[in-house]
Amino acid sequence: MAAVTTLESSVKQPHQQSGGHSGAADGSQLLTFKLGDELYGVDILRVQEIKGYTTVTRIPNTPASIKGVINLRGTIVPIVELRTVFGMPAIDVTSFTVIIVVVVRDKIMGLVVDSVSDVLTIDRQDIQPPPAFGSRVDVSCLSGIAKSGDKLVALLDIDRLLAEGPASDGR
Amino acid sequence: MSNEFEQFQDAFFEEAAEHLAIVEEGLLQLEQRPEDLDLLNKIFRSAHSIKGASGMFGFDAIAQFTHKMETLLDLLRSGKKIVTPGIADLLLKSTDCLKTLMEGVKLNAPVDENVVQRLSTELAAVSAGEGERASVTPPTSASEPSASEGAYDIRWTPPEWLFRRGLDPLQIFKELIRIGRLSRVNVDTSRLPDLNGVNPETCYLSWTMRLETAASLKEVESVFEFVREDSELSIEAVTVPNPAPEGSGTNVQREIKTATSEASEDGPKSIGEILVESGAVSKEALERALSQQKRVGEILIEQKAATPQQIEQALQTQRQMEAAAQAKKADTTSIRVDTAKIDKLINLVGELVITQSMLSDLGTRFEMGQVHVLLERIAQLERNTREIQERVMSIRMVPIGTAFSRFPRLVRDLAGKLGKKINLVLSGEETELDKTVIEAIGDPLTHLVRNAADHGLETPEERLDNNKPEAGVIKLHAFHEGGNICITVEDDGRGLNRDKILAKAVKQGLVSDGAALSDDQVYPLIMRPGFSTADKVSDLSGRGVGMDVVKRNIEALGGTVSIKTVYGKGTTFTLKLPLTLAIIEGMTIRVGRETYIVPMLSILESIQPKPEAVKTVVGKGELIDVRGIYLPVIRLYNVFNLKPEHVDPAEAILLILETEGERVAVMVDEILGQQQVVIKSMEQNFRKVQGIAGATILGDGTVGFILDVRGLLEIARQGTPMAA
Repeated sequence: MAAVTTLESSVKQPHQQSGGHSGAADGSQLLTFKLGDELYGVDILRVQEIKGYTTVTRIPNTPASIKGVINLRGTIVPIVELRTVFGMPAIDVTSFTVIIVVVVRDKIMGLVVDSVSDVLTIDRQDIQPPPAFGSRVDVSCLSGIAKSGDKLVALLDIDRLLAEGPASDGR
Repeated sequence: MSNEFEQFQDAFFEEAAEHLAIVEEGLLQLEQRPEDLDLLNKIFRSAHSIKGASGMFGFDAIAQFTHKMETLLDLLRSGKKIVTPGIADLLLKSTDCLKTLMEGVKLNAPVDENVVQRLSTELAAVSAGEGERASVTPPTSASEPSASEGAYDIRWTPPEWLFRRGLDPLQIFKELIRIGRLSRVNVDTSRLPDLNGVNPETCYLSWTMRLETAASLKEVESVFEFVREDSELSIEAVTVPNPAPEGSGTNVQREIKTATSEASEDGPKSIGEILVESGAVSKEALERALSQQKRVGEILIEQKAATPQQIEQALQTQRQMEAAAQAKKADTTSIRVDTAKIDKLINLVGELVITQSMLSDLGTRFEMGQVHVLLERIAQLERNTREIQERVMSIRMVPIGTAFSRFPRLVRDLAGKLGKKINLVLSGEETELDKTVIEAIGDPLTHLVRNAADHGLETPEERLDNNKPEAGVIKLHAFHEGGNICITVEDDGRGLNRDKILAKAVKQGLVSDGAALSDDQVYPLIMRPGFSTADKVSDLSGRGVGMDVVKRNIEALGGTVSIKTVYGKGTTFTLKLPLTLAIIEGMTIRVGRETYIVPMLSILESIQPKPEAVKTVVGKGELIDVRGIYLPVIRLYNVFNLKPEHVDPAEAILLILETEGERVAVMVDEILGQQQVVIKSMEQNFRKVQGIAGATILGDGTVGFILDVRGLLEIARQGTPMAA
């Protein structure tokens, strides 16, 4: 529990500071995963586990981005379809499809992604603030863009993504 | 270190609460059987334990107060005093006071010193033999000691031979403490010689002290009776300025005084302070002005708007409310478990581990020929698991007697307040149910018992006129029925007046005039918010709040309330509750490819309707004729946006569900079976979903939802639900 709270306080900062370097501050590690051809990264300390895809029970009358709930060793964990959150077309479950289980404000949630790729260590100076696309593309849930070799990694601000989005009490 | 201490403190409070319960229970029984020595001993032992333990923890106020109670109890025990109603009453009040003291220490909250002081003096007075006066006229004696309390300055130089005669000065002081409060005790050691010159059998010391007591000079002198000879003794009566004015206004004054003093400490400054600081008003002038200021209570008394008794009572209620609010905060969540239960559990877990290792051993070198062994082991695992589940559940099970224990006192006090004679009969106290359920039913039960005493039972005269015994009976009974626990609150009072309820309901527009309603439809009307048929509002009940709260609380626990009544004969309320909140009995149903669980408690029946049984009104609203009564039909697939297998009600199944007295028919594809399900929280990681009470893990490891019938109804009424 203590670990979670300290993490939170460290992750809250990016909101106040001018964008930039979220969870990946000072060369921290990122778990990267793929949605289509795009690479995304999430602070590895926020990841509880990675789980193969299992049957998800749909929750009636909830937004499409909430795929449903699963039984994670006895606890009910909601599953968020990241493709739907970003407005990408849904694809069928493959053998690579995984659920990344993350902790957001003391709540456990699963993210369905196309595949996990790697754990990367990225230096702080390699992170740039998220680009401004205006209203054309919503990048509010990104905390930054990082470069790793020739790959571009979009850093996800999962607090904003999940706590203010599908998981919050207001629909 | 301090944490450890706190841990022990918690144990102390828990234990002390248990002892207090014993004392209270014992005292109530003592009123019936004043001669029971065993009972007295039991009470004494518990009081003694509290005293000892609180002394050990340095809670001196508690220890001292308990000591005074103990002194009186000891006198009763040794037969030097007999138990009179007055003494019993005083002891009960002291028990309450002790409770407040403990809450005070526990929460670091200020305690009403006046009450403590008053009761202490009363206890001391009764113990010292002035019992009659104190017990016969408690209202006056309550305020008298502080008014007539005098003080004596005592100077005492004992004779040198004091020790040689085997006398102990400490005894004298103890005796003095018994009759009053000692302060400013000073010992004069000037006559003490050097160490090598000391004769240990000679008393060189002398004392000065002040004794505040209600006792007369003669009584104080009598303490020194045995040492009078050769002692230099002077006892002078002094007048202490008594800060508290006389009469029942005392408490009123104090209430507001503490309030203002608190405010001036934490809050903004009072206007007086500001005026004094700015030099506009002199301090003396301010004090003079303040001394003329009166409290609401006093003003009311002066204007004859309220009697002192009423004010006193109101203050008492206020204090009780405060105490109750604090007690709520202090609710402990610990549970005491029999070690035998835990030992058994450890054994079972041991077995589970063995079974598990046997299985994994089998798994590493498995051949098809060993299938029967595998099945056997799995059966063993199943047995272990079931047994562990049962044992763990049983740990949470507490006899309902803990919830009943508050009622003897409550009923006794109610009887006194209402001027009725009430016999309380408790049965089935050993019935066990989940601790959380027990905690939650306390308030609803209290409401019901209060109602029974206030509205249900008639006055003694009325009862005699109706050929009933003078004393009314309230029965509390608990028993298991199926997977539920039933608690009945029964009184043999006047019963519910059907006509009166109907008339009131018509007046409030709840039912239309002349509607033919069955008893089952009429009586639950009293559980509507704001519904009370009482002609006058008393401070106990009659405001029309209460029954709806009872109903809501019980339904929140997944239970039901039903009423049976015979006019003139009495009323019985039956609470039906699940044994535990963690597991419910459910019916698994299927709609399309989804599986849901419907709580058994809300299912009345399930039917497969005939094609013509479902009718519509205004083209859409569907109704089904169930033996002459039309019930609205809710198609679950519509409410939840699912793809059903059957759209024709004649092919589907209708579950007749009841929630808060309303009945609906819910259409599903199929009933899969009945099973116990463990409720899992949806809110823990997600949020509340309308129409869903919770989730559970189904046999295949996937999640299933438990339906919330009320929520379904609401969605159905809102019209089209939000599109998924």
